[in-house]
Amino acid sequence: MVGIVLVSHSLDLARGLADLASQIAGAEVKVEPAGGGPGGSLGTSGDSVREAIARADCGQGVVVLADLGSSILTVRHLLQGKANGHVRLVDAPFVEGAVAAAVMSSAGLSLEDVARAAEEARGASKF
Amino acid sequence: MVPASSESTVALPAGVALHARPAATFVKTALRFRSRLTVGSDGKVADAKSILAVLALGALGGTVLRLSAEGEDAPDALAALSSCVSGLVD
Repeated sequence: MVGIVLVSHSLDLARGLADLASQIAGAEVKVEPAGGGPGGSLGTSGDSVREAIARADCGQGVVVLADLGSSILTVRHLLQGKANGHVRLVDAPFVEGAVAAAVMSSAGLSLEDVARAAEEARGASKF
Repeated sequence: MVPASSESTVALPAGVALHARPAATFVKTALRFRSRLTVGSDGKVADAKSILAVLALGALGGTVLRLSAEGEDAPDALAALSSCVSGLVD
């Protein structure tokens, strides 16, 4: 299955969203949180993202969603020069994109399909 | 050849809304088929293969869902979705 990594400035936010996505999609899909700075401060670090990608990677690829601004830059910086397509940063709303990606992954869809579902979440109405 | 299309209705079990896990179970069933599949409730229609669209229906327990399928495996898809809905648990 495609792994999902959720990068936030707040580790609480990333963890909470990972719980939500896992509970909806099922525990079989790997949804790994990354985020927060030293001592529980807000921020993102390349190390925590790298570790989360390693935990999420089951060989079928990894989709990475990030919350805002510098968390995107952290992921981009990490992936620079390693663009083999196996790990994909997607431009998607954080909550909806994570849930859509996790459900698509749990259904056994490809990296391409999971990434597209996350990005298409931008156009979804909530009600 | 014109693709086969068909429709059916099925009620959600009492007390089981089409949210969170039940919605994901429904969408995962839909994703097994090639046909274009929709689910309708209360005047709204959603792509049955989109978790966000299905969640946005906000269908509550006991609601009658209208299922439609268009494509080569439409009859099988409708049968599987109906059976899935009837068997949903919260």
